[in-house]
Amino acid sequence: MTFADIVNLTLNGLISGMLVALPALAVSLVYGLARFPNAATGDVVSTGGYAGLFAYTASGSLLAAGAGAAAIGALVGLASYYLAFRAILRRSVITSLLTSIGVGFVIRALLGVMFGHQPRTFDMPITRAARWHGVMLNPTDGQLVLVTLAVLAIVFTLLYGTSMGRKMRALADDADLARVSGIGVERSMVTMWALTGAVCGIAGMMVGVRTVVSPDAGWDTLLPAFAAAVVGGLGNPLGAVVGAILLGVLQEWSTPLVGFVYKIALAYVVMLVVLLIRPQGLFNRVQGVR
Amino acid sequence: MLDYALTLAVVTLIYVLLAFALDLQYGFTGMINFGVAGFFGAGAYTSALLTMRAGWPAPFAFAAAMVVCGAIAWPLGKIALRLRDDYLAIVTLGFSEIIRLVLVQEQWLTNGVQGIPGVPRLWPTWTTAHSELFLLGMLCVANVAVVLFLRHLTHSPYGRLIQAIRDDEVAVKALGKNPARFKTQVLVIGGAITGLAGAFFAHYMTYIVPDQFVPLITFYVWMAVIMGGVARLSGSVAGAALLVLFLEGSRFLRGVLPWVSDDAMASVQIGAVGLVLILFMRWRPEGLFGRAREGSR
Amino acid sequence: MTLSTSGLTLRYGDFTVLDDVSMEMSLAGLHGMIGPNGAGKSTFFAVLSGFIRQNAGRIAFGGTALEHLSPDERARTGFGRTFQIPREFKHLSVRDNLKVGARRQPGESLRHLFCAPAAVRAAEREIAARVDATLAFLKLERVADALAGGLSGGQKKLLELGRILMSEPKFILLDEPYAGVNPVLIEELSQRIRELNAQGIGFLIIEHNLEALNRLVDDLYVLDRGRLIAHGRPDEVLAEESVRAAYIGGPA
Repeated sequence: MTFADIVNLTLNGLISGMLVALPALAVSLVYGLARFPNAATGDVVSTGGYAGLFAYTASGSLLAAGAGAAAIGALVGLASYYLAFRAILRRSVITSLLTSIGVGFVIRALLGVMFGHQPRTFDMPITRAARWHGVMLNPTDGQLVLVTLAVLAIVFTLLYGTSMGRKMRALADDADLARVSGIGVERSMVTMWALTGAVCGIAGMMVGVRTVVSPDAGWDTLLPAFAAAVVGGLGNPLGAVVGAILLGVLQEWSTPLVGFVYKIALAYVVMLVVLLIRPQGLFNRVQGVR
Repeated sequence: MLDYALTLAVVTLIYVLLAFALDLQYGFTGMINFGVAGFFGAGAYTSALLTMRAGWPAPFAFAAAMVVCGAIAWPLGKIALRLRDDYLAIVTLGFSEIIRLVLVQEQWLTNGVQGIPGVPRLWPTWTTAHSELFLLGMLCVANVAVVLFLRHLTHSPYGRLIQAIRDDEVAVKALGKNPARFKTQVLVIGGAITGLAGAFFAHYMTYIVPDQFVPLITFYVWMAVIMGGVARLSGSVAGAALLVLFLEGSRFLRGVLPWVSDDAMASVQIGAVGLVLILFMRWRPEGLFGRAREGSR
Repeated sequence: MTLSTSGLTLRYGDFTVLDDVSMEMSLAGLHGMIGPNGAGKSTFFAVLSGFIRQNAGRIAFGGTALEHLSPDERARTGFGRTFQIPREFKHLSVRDNLKVGARRQPGESLRHLFCAPAAVRAAEREIAARVDATLAFLKLERVADALAGGLSGGQKKLLELGRILMSEPKFILLDEPYAGVNPVLIEELSQRIRELNAQGIGFLIIEHNLEALNRLVDDLYVLDRGRLIAHGRPDEVLAEESVRAAYIGGPA
C-alpha cells in the first residue's frame, strides 16, 4: 500500500465520517435532553434528501437545497415531537425508543407513498477528482465537508455561545434540574427538536448528493450514527462528531483487510468494545449515583 | 382455499414461536432484543445448509438450528449484562445486521444475496400438499411443546425471579441474587426458540435469501408482542394472529383498491406497523391482553 | 462481631460526598444515623451495600472485607438493606415479592426446575409458610395478593422490610423505615424491629423522625456534609452543640 493509498483511505474515511457526524450529533442532542436514542433519526435524514432534491431541482443552487432540507427537517422534527414524543417522554426509555421506531416507520411509509421507492439522484454536473501525487479528492466531497463544518460551527456556536444553548446543555447534564426548571424546559425541548431535525435534513441532502435519494437512504446512516454517538458518549455533541469521524476513518482503514461488506460491521464492533471497556463513551464522565 | 388456509396457519404458528421467544425476553425479563431477525435467519440457514449440504435428517438439523442460535445468543448475553436497556437495543440491532452481512458475504457457504433455493420439504418423497400438512403438524407439536416448556418456566420461582429482574434489578441484587446468569439464560432460550422458528420457515418457504431477515421482521414480532400483551403467553398467540391478519389483510386491501401499487402497499404496511407501535406505546403499553402495565420511571 | 468502616471516602469531581468516615458498631445492636438532608446518609448506605464504589477506605462485616465485593455478593454474606424510595417489584403480588426474597430456592435453577420437581415443590411449600409468617408479622395479610405497585408508601416500606427478612440477614441497613407509615403504627413498627433485634438481627437505621428513632436505638451516628460529626447515646448526641448547629445552622 502506497502512502497515497493511505491518504486516500483516510480522506474517504473523513468524508464518510462527516456524513455520519450530523446524524450522530442529532442522536446525542436528542439523548441529552429527551434521554432516549432516537431511532427515527435516519428517516428524518431520508426526508432531508427529498426536500433537498426538490429545492435543488427548483433553484439549481445547493445552498437553497441545504436550506430547504434544513427547513423541512426541522418541521419533521417538531412534528415528531408534538405528535408522538411529547406525550410519552416522561415514561421509560423503552417506550420512547419503541415510539421512535414507530415514528421512523411512519415517516418512511409517507415517503414511500408520496415518492415511490425508485432511488433518485441529484442531477449535478460531473466533476473530476483533483489529483495530487496519487491522492484524489473529489470537489463535491470537498464541498460536503465544508458544508458539514459550517453546520457544525453554527450548532456549536448555538450550544456554547447563546443562553438557550447553555440552558440546553445544563438540562442535558442534569435531569433533576429539568424537573425543577419548568418553563425553560419546554422551550429548550422545542429548540432541540427543530435543531436536530434541521441537522438531519441537511445530512440527508448530503447523503442524497453523494449517493441517492430514497425512503431507505437514511436508515443506512442510523446504525453508524448510533455507533458514533455511543463511542463519543451519548449526550455529548462534540463526542458524537469526533466519534463519527473516528469510526469513518477506522472503517476505511479496515477495508483492505476485511472488505467492503464487513467494514460496515466494524462500526458495531468498535461500539461494542467501547461499551464493554468504557460504557460512558470516550468523552463522557461516569454518570452518577444509583 | 385450503392451500391459503394452510399458508396462514403455518405463517401464524411461526410468528407465534417468535412472539413467545421475544415475550420471554422482553415481557417477562425486560430485555430489549432488536435482533430477532438475525437469529431467525441464522436458524433458517443452519437447518437449510445442514439438510442440503451435509445430508442431515431434518430433526437433527432443526435441533442444530436451535443449538447454533442458542450458542450465538450466549456471547450476546454476556455483553448484555453490562448494558442498559437502550444500549442493548442498539447492540442487538447491530448484531442482527452483522448476521445478515455474514449471510450476504460468505457466499461459499450461503450463496450470498442469491440465497438458497430448493430447501427440502420435510418429507421430500411425499407430495407437496402432504409435506406441507406434515410441516404444519410438526409446527403444531413444536408450538405445544414450547408453550408447555415456557409455562412451566414462567409459573415457577424462576419465572418470579426473571420478572423481578424486569421490575427492579437493583432490588434483586440487594437480595443477594445475581441477575446476570438469568439474563443470559433467557437470551439463549429465546434464541433457540427463534432458531427453531427459522428452521420451520426455511423448510416451508424452500427458498431463503438474506433479505428475508431484515430488521422489519424484528419489528413485526415486536408489534405482535406489544399488541397481544406482554408477559402473557396467550397474549403472544393473540398478537401473532393479529399480526398475520394485518399482514394478510393488506393483501385483501389490494384486491379492493387495485390502483394501489405493490410498492405503495408495502409502504402502507410499514406505516401501519409504525402507527401501531406509536399508538400502543402511548395508550395501551400492556397490550390487549397483557398483565404488566408500563409504569413511569 | 462488628460492622466497621475505615476512612471511607467518596468524591464526585470536586465535591466530597463522604469524607473519611470511620466507625465500628456491634452487629447485634440497634444503631441509628441522622443528619440534615444531603448529608450523605443514603449515599453511605449505597457505598456500604456496594452499589457505589468508594474512592478510598475499607468496609468489614464480621471479619469479611466487603470493599471489593459486588452488591449481591455482599448481600449473600448476610448484609441486607432497604431503600429510601421503595423498590418493590411493581408487577408482582405482595406474596410473590416476599417469595423472591427467600434464599435457597432450587426452583430458581433451570436444572432443578426441570429435573427435580419434587424438591422444588417442597421448597415452595416451605417458602410459602415463611411468607405467611412474615405477612402476619408485618400485618400485611390483607394485601397479600395485591400487586405491589398499588400499595401505599408505608405499605411498600413494610414490604421491603419483609422481603429482606425473607433472605435471613444478620444485619439490615434500614433507610427511613417510618417514612409514609401511619403515625399511629410507628410504635408498632418500632416494636417489630425490637423483636427482630431480640432474635439476633442488628440494624443501622437512617431516619428523620428523631423522636421515634431515639426511643428505639442504642446509639446514634450523626453525618453532616459527608463527615461523621458525632456518635454516642441518643440523648447525649442530641445535646451536643455541633449537632444542633448542623440541623439548625444550615441547609446542606
